[in-house]
Amino acid sequence: MKMTGAPKLYQTMKFKRNVKNGFILLILLAGSAALLTPLWWMISTSLKSPEEIAQFPPTFIPEKFHFSNYIKAWSTGPFTRWALNSVFLAVVTTIGSVLINSLVAYGFAKLKFKGRNIWFVIVLATMLLPGFVTMVPQYMLFSKLGWVNTYLPLIVPSFLGSAFFIFLLRQFMMTIPNEFIEAAVMDGASHLRIWWHIMLPLTKPALITVAIFSFNGSWNDLLGPLLYLNDESMYTIQLGLQTFKGSVQTQWNYLMAMSVMILLPTVLIFFIFQRFFIEGSNLSSGTKG
Amino acid sequence: MQQQSARERLLHGINDRGTNVSGNSAAMNNQAVSKTHMKTKKAKSKTFKENLIGYGFISPWLIGFFFLTAGPLVFSLIVSFSDYNITSKMHFTGLDNYKRMFTADDLFWTSLWNTIYFVVFSVPLTTAGAIFVAVLLNTKIKGMKIFRTIYYLPAVLSGVAVYFLWMQLLSPGTGLVNLVLSWFGVDGPAWLFDPSWTKPALIIMKLWSVGGGMLLYLASLQGVPESLYEAADLDGANMFQKFFHITLPMITPIIFFDIITSTIGAFQVFQEAYVMSKDGDGGPAHSLLFYNLHMWNNAFEVFDMGYASAMAWILFIIIMILTLINLKFGKRWVHYEGGDNK
Amino acid sequence: MKRKLSIFLSVLMLFSMLLAGCSGDKASGAGGDSKKVTLKFWTFWGSETRRPIIEKMVDDYNKSQDKVVVKHTFVPWGDIWTKNLAAVAAGNPADVVVTDINDVSHRAKNNQSTDLSKYFDDNFKNRFYPQLWDTVLYKGKAYGAPFNTDTRLLYYNKKAFKEAGLDPNKPPQTWAELEEYAKKLDVKKGSTYERIGFYPLWGGYGAPGWMRNADNGKGFIEGDKLAIDTPAKEDALTWLADWKKRYGKKTIESWDADFANGQTNPFVAEKVAMYVDTGTFYTQIRDSGKNLDFGVAPIPSYTDHTRHWSDGGGFVLEVPKGSKHPKEAADFIKYLTDVKAQKYWAVKNYDNVANKQAAESAAAEMSGMAKDVYQTSNENLKDTQLAPVPLNYPDYKSRIDPQIDAVMLGKKKSPEALKKAEEDVKKIKK
Repeated sequence: MKMTGAPKLYQTMKFKRNVKNGFILLILLAGSAALLTPLWWMISTSLKSPEEIAQFPPTFIPEKFHFSNYIKAWSTGPFTRWALNSVFLAVVTTIGSVLINSLVAYGFAKLKFKGRNIWFVIVLATMLLPGFVTMVPQYMLFSKLGWVNTYLPLIVPSFLGSAFFIFLLRQFMMTIPNEFIEAAVMDGASHLRIWWHIMLPLTKPALITVAIFSFNGSWNDLLGPLLYLNDESMYTIQLGLQTFKGSVQTQWNYLMAMSVMILLPTVLIFFIFQRFFIEGSNLSSGTKG
Repeated sequence: MQQQSARERLLHGINDRGTNVSGNSAAMNNQAVSKTHMKTKKAKSKTFKENLIGYGFISPWLIGFFFLTAGPLVFSLIVSFSDYNITSKMHFTGLDNYKRMFTADDLFWTSLWNTIYFVVFSVPLTTAGAIFVAVLLNTKIKGMKIFRTIYYLPAVLSGVAVYFLWMQLLSPGTGLVNLVLSWFGVDGPAWLFDPSWTKPALIIMKLWSVGGGMLLYLASLQGVPESLYEAADLDGANMFQKFFHITLPMITPIIFFDIITSTIGAFQVFQEAYVMSKDGDGGPAHSLLFYNLHMWNNAFEVFDMGYASAMAWILFIIIMILTLINLKFGKRWVHYEGGDNK
Repeated sequence: MKRKLSIFLSVLMLFSMLLAGCSGDKASGAGGDSKKVTLKFWTFWGSETRRPIIEKMVDDYNKSQDKVVVKHTFVPWGDIWTKNLAAVAAGNPADVVVTDINDVSHRAKNNQSTDLSKYFDDNFKNRFYPQLWDTVLYKGKAYGAPFNTDTRLLYYNKKAFKEAGLDPNKPPQTWAELEEYAKKLDVKKGSTYERIGFYPLWGGYGAPGWMRNADNGKGFIEGDKLAIDTPAKEDALTWLADWKKRYGKKTIESWDADFANGQTNPFVAEKVAMYVDTGTFYTQIRDSGKNLDFGVAPIPSYTDHTRHWSDGGGFVLEVPKGSKHPKEAADFIKYLTDVKAQKYWAVKNYDNVANKQAAESAAAEMSGMAKDVYQTSNENLKDTQLAPVPLNYPDYKSRIDPQIDAVMLGKKKSPEALKKAEEDVKKIKK
């Protein structure tokens, strides 16, 4: 019954799809140009000599490529040390926020307990007050605990959940049908097991999103390390970057070279991790469909 | 709905036997006892267990809330009724700060107006933009990985490079934006130099960096079952029908999340205005003096932290009301595949 | 599985605590010698050029005596004051910190810094330019010591002067001359400017500066008296708006946008023939590698009878409130503001220093244009005024700036705007 209609249908579908995809590609390409200009501007500045940077009108492509700017910028300070500190902080906080936030989100999304809705509103409420007014008292608190000039103020909070991520993961978990959980419960599984074996795999794209966000958040954080670290050997790469900005003059080529290098890990992580999106899609659509 | 939740409760009851967060055998025994004995006792212990497990799961956040967040929060509330200057004095002044805000500080109203303008336009536009881009990036075309990375870039690209670039793109005479506008016969505005165009300029900048929101939607689009689209194809549904009848309802939980969090974010807009206006003074004719910028100036330039805290709490109330309205109306349009969980 | 997970979690937690704890311990143990006092010294001088200079000065001090070890820490520009504020509030601040010269008394009033007058003898103030010393006083007591300063000068392109038929050794002396020269120096091709003779609001001298220049050096707020809406200031603001009108709104705004990033400078790129900036702007010209033929002069005066008033700023050394070693900190400040250290800083950084004798002997060691500019800026310091934050009106700028903007945008006339500004400032008196 399909035999006769199939080739024709297939053809028109394919044709339609190609037209649609071509159109999408066109839009995406145009958008890419707009999105990549700042990046190009950063890269080209990072390869120029200070004299060329000062030229007017600015050159679009460097007259001469000074790749040595990258090495020179890196060697103006203990950047290897600072980069390692940043990697350590970003990795630890990412692990912490993925695990803890999904644990807490599971509680809010799939468990029933007294006062849940009120607590959830309080979770949201913690996002509402601007950070400026709690910054100083928070600093005083960490200072009282003796945590100033340690990594604790930067790490511990990520192991205690963040409202944004809890809310995000809760939303994702609420789209997961309860039948999965019910079936597991029937089999006598504990909620901790259900969270680990069922919920985490099913929310993989969301967890990857949280991982990407929290890695970037930690990697790009300036205010936290600035406030809490007093020892230059403990500084992060973002603080190191600030050495190129001065009250009088800014070393543009070094600043941009270092900015490009700082950008690389975040872009790389995104590029690598997005493959889990596809995997995640297969899993959830397979089980749900 | 009610039936389902009753069923759920039943399932939880069974569940409680097997689930045991602390995992000690005494509790297990208790349960075994309660199971064989009185029904009421069983129900009581069941809810107790449920509560225990629930609180167990959210305990990390509770610890963080009580030990790290609550203190500073309460502190800032108390301080808002005083003339606290961060470093030394703190005298109780009653409602003076609040009174001054509403009656004597015209910049409070300016900053509130600027902020509301920004929220009203930026939240819907960025939400729609992020969904649009995410849907495009969810098509299966070769090289999509690279496009996704490119579109994500602005979310991680921040700082001076971006702001300076926008300065140039929005330059009244030589900027690219006005050049493109001139192709269509439009004489572009002076953007960041014209008080009535600074906020639109900032909204365009915000729109440019929808990469973060895009990522959220991209992740949630992965949860939309392929089979739904296949069924729609067989029914002869077109692209738009599929989008409005399948895609959009399926991602409402994330739209809901995005609207709430980006409203909060937009009310707290600061960094962009701080960098785009010289010395953070709020741009030409205070057109970029946003709420948080005015608050920052009071807190860290004038050292009037009491007043700044009062401002913060007024903002808190405004956003809280909006969030509660959102939560209330959310129930009407947000579709949870897993049931409403009430 | 559950156990595995909890073990994993606790190991992770432990690991991170350990690592964090270790680095923390190492930091607090850095003081080393228990008999010596360790002074924490925070600056924003972390660049490749500035850091070695300040660290050499610190090193010299550490070697010169055996009681105190100064530990220098770079804290990013701008953010350093946020950090300082939080640290003072929590009671664990640095011992010496570099802060802005214009709000010393504002900080002193809010109890953020230490009164150092008992550590300074009567002679101490004589080493500084008097107007700089005045800024560190609050109720007659010194809450810091000036370190470096700056002053605005008029830079002019000699080549452009020759092209326009002007004498390259006769820079404009008055506002009238400035206007006349600028018109001659303009180069216009069709409706667009190839070169702009002069635009008063480019460079380091803003509208408040020009208004003060016109008003015989009087700022917006003198002591406790408001002097915002004065005839001279009204006139100056009208004059500024006229410049914009003459070149056209679009021209000015486009150029503003093109040079906003600070990478390219319109004077160095020879797009502007006259330009006001600080003495240290010389280094930017020098480093551009363009061999620009230029001269420097004091800022033109309002009329023949008024002085060449200029604006200045700078940084001071302060001891934050709560420092455990104010005496040792004061000793270190004395060293940093003494001739030897100041001269070293001045020569190595090409920076204007607060110590008068050091500034003069630094100039003597220089040559060529470097010397010219440095000497001119030293002389200019006598007519340079600072703009300390007025204690009763700390937020005055937020009420004046939008009015100035309104005039520059052509939305208001100068007298009306300044009248409103004065009324608004009056309302926010503390």
